[in-house]
Amino acid sequence: MNNQYNVRIDALETDSTAPRGKRSMTAHLSARGLAKSYRKGKTEVPVLKGVDLEVERGELVAVMGASGSGKSTLLHVLGLLDSPDRGAVDLDGGRIDDLGDRKRDALRNQTFGFIFQFYHLLPELSALDNVLMPLLIRHGPVGYLAARRTYRRRAEALLDRVGLSGRRTHKPAELSGGEMQRAAVARALVGEPEIVLADEPTGNLDAANGRAILELLRDLNRERELTMMLVTHDSQIASRADRVVRLVEGRIEEFSAAPEGSDFAASRL
Amino acid sequence: MYKYLLCWKYLRGRYIALASVVSVMLGVATLIVVNAVMAGFATKMRSRLHGFLSDIVVMSYDRNGFANADEVTARIREIGGDDIEATAGTMETYAILRFYVGGSEVTKEVKLIGVKPEERAKTGDFAEFLFDENDRPAPASFEVSEELRKKTSPAAGVLGENMDDDILNQALRKQALDDVPPRGAILGYAMATARDPEKHRDEYLAPRGTKVMLVFARASKRPEPATDEFTVVSFFKSGMSEYDSSIVFVPLERLQFMLGMGDGEGRGAVNQIHIKLKPGSKADLNVLARKIQRGLERLRPLYFKVATWEEMQGPLLAAVSIEQDILNMLLFFIIAVAGFGILAIFSMIVVEKTRDIGVLKALGASTTGVGGIFLGYGLALGIVGAGTGLAGGLLFVRYINKIEDGLSALTGQRVFNPDIYYFSEIPTRVEPWTVAWVFCGALLIAVLASVWPAIRAARLRPVEALRYE
Repeated sequence: MNNQYNVRIDALETDSTAPRGKRSMTAHLSARGLAKSYRKGKTEVPVLKGVDLEVERGELVAVMGASGSGKSTLLHVLGLLDSPDRGAVDLDGGRIDDLGDRKRDALRNQTFGFIFQFYHLLPELSALDNVLMPLLIRHGPVGYLAARRTYRRRAEALLDRVGLSGRRTHKPAELSGGEMQRAAVARALVGEPEIVLADEPTGNLDAANGRAILELLRDLNRERELTMMLVTHDSQIASRADRVVRLVEGRIEEFSAAPEGSDFAASRL
Repeated sequence: MYKYLLCWKYLRGRYIALASVVSVMLGVATLIVVNAVMAGFATKMRSRLHGFLSDIVVMSYDRNGFANADEVTARIREIGGDDIEATAGTMETYAILRFYVGGSEVTKEVKLIGVKPEERAKTGDFAEFLFDENDRPAPASFEVSEELRKKTSPAAGVLGENMDDDILNQALRKQALDDVPPRGAILGYAMATARDPEKHRDEYLAPRGTKVMLVFARASKRPEPATDEFTVVSFFKSGMSEYDSSIVFVPLERLQFMLGMGDGEGRGAVNQIHIKLKPGSKADLNVLARKIQRGLERLRPLYFKVATWEEMQGPLLAAVSIEQDILNMLLFFIIAVAGFGILAIFSMIVVEKTRDIGVLKALGASTTGVGGIFLGYGLALGIVGAGTGLAGGLLFVRYINKIEDGLSALTGQRVFNPDIYYFSEIPTRVEPWTVAWVFCGALLIAVLASVWPAIRAARLRPVEALRYE
């Protein structure tokens, strides 16, 4: 198992010799003039007021901003959990926010992986079944049962990777917060997505667990060339991203490349 | 695949939802038990009515009947052809029955039926319903046996083998004849007995050998009373209390003679002819009855009335069938109520699961897929409820008499009182189609009840569902 990952990591290391942060012709995921408002009673509350953003393949972008600045909404719209009032979301240059329900469902299932602040594991299912859920959703009974050994192995390998080898059969109620978030990370990855969207993944964890989750995400981002967007309050956490985006009053206020010295990989040395 | 997994997990994990199917289960079980018992009763009743009445009855509007019974029978046989197994002429009239019990007089109004026992036995269940005091089958005959005569009359006992025609013997013989008339009568069981409420046993008021007097109206322009005496030789116990409490059978020839409508030797008027079809005859009863009606119309217009046994008991049979329909309808409401229980509990579960639904949608579950979880859940609950109800109901039906015994022992009171029905056991009959309908109906209600919550769940927008705390 480990060997397989070593190979992949090697492959990525070679790939990552190209300097990070260099823009390619088309962004992996981009937002064009996104606007979204919510209705509270009779008043309309604008949350996003025209957001333009481009995320490169393999980039780890941190989204910061005050409460209510629209961070989560941006993430939801980008991940097709919500539709924008105006503007568009592009994946590899093709518009995806106006697709039909079926295609949006499929994109959520295959292209995006979600990680939530409150883990959102299904309480009835074991850690392993929770991790398998995207695959269970993707395949019908026949397709799933035909390949269930492969899928189980994949899910078990991911649980091993996030450090939950001994917790496969435990229900969420029997896991600690950190463990639940690790399981949620494994769930986000089991469908082999291209993009992981994490909404304050460490917001509900203590400092040590939060750091561990962040390390995990950072490692996975490198291992698998995953594009990641991470919503966070914590500037220390944000500082480990490739790039930090600040949302102020529904607009992107500021881009900043993370200082070279604070890059997580570097700081570990 | 996730739908099946989640249905299964929800089914196993949520006892509150299982509680809601208890009512489905009870409803299904009740429907099955009630239907089985009612069908059992109806079947038993039909077979008894049918047995008593033969297949087709030709009646005359004139109570005094028709003397050309042979001619009419010949015409019937001509029309019916090979389908007819047997016919029996009978004379029915009303009478007052009198007999003495320990010096006090018992009087009852009865339906007096004159029959030829061997004929009657061929057209319907007659011989099967005849018993003596000890519930042993009695022969289909009106003959007063010598043994019965000696047992009943002291004079006949004394007579013995001594057949000298002296004065004493003549007097004894006269006395014996007076004590035990030579003509037998068959009494309805309920008329001849009285229920001892404490011993739960029937005591005979008129045991075999009792002399009974019948008062009836002679057939003439101005009806005048006639009386005749008979000896009780056996009892008629059909299980239909209407019959058992009102019918007295006497020999046809004697009745014709006493009514003034016969010569006492087998040629006389009858007012009914019972027709029994050959077993396995494929003739439609109603069609044949109409054919006979038309044929007899030509013989004597506006005189005969032909009816099948079902037509003669039409109102009773219809009443039973309506009762069953209404009861079914009412009981189905129980399951409908259970459906609302499922609806309520499912709505709660949808609210409770809002966030999980959001998660599923975020992971790519489709709208129909999420709806499918709850529809499938409803169906699964329906299957569990209706299935256990089905099994429980069928088991209950199977052991209904043992259960009744147990309940009776527990409460000290007969739950099923055999006095009323003459059934020693509760009759049951499980009709597969009824059971299938009940099962499918319950499933349908369970699924229908989960439609609305399922639609609500399916329509939840993922963001709103996730934001739900």
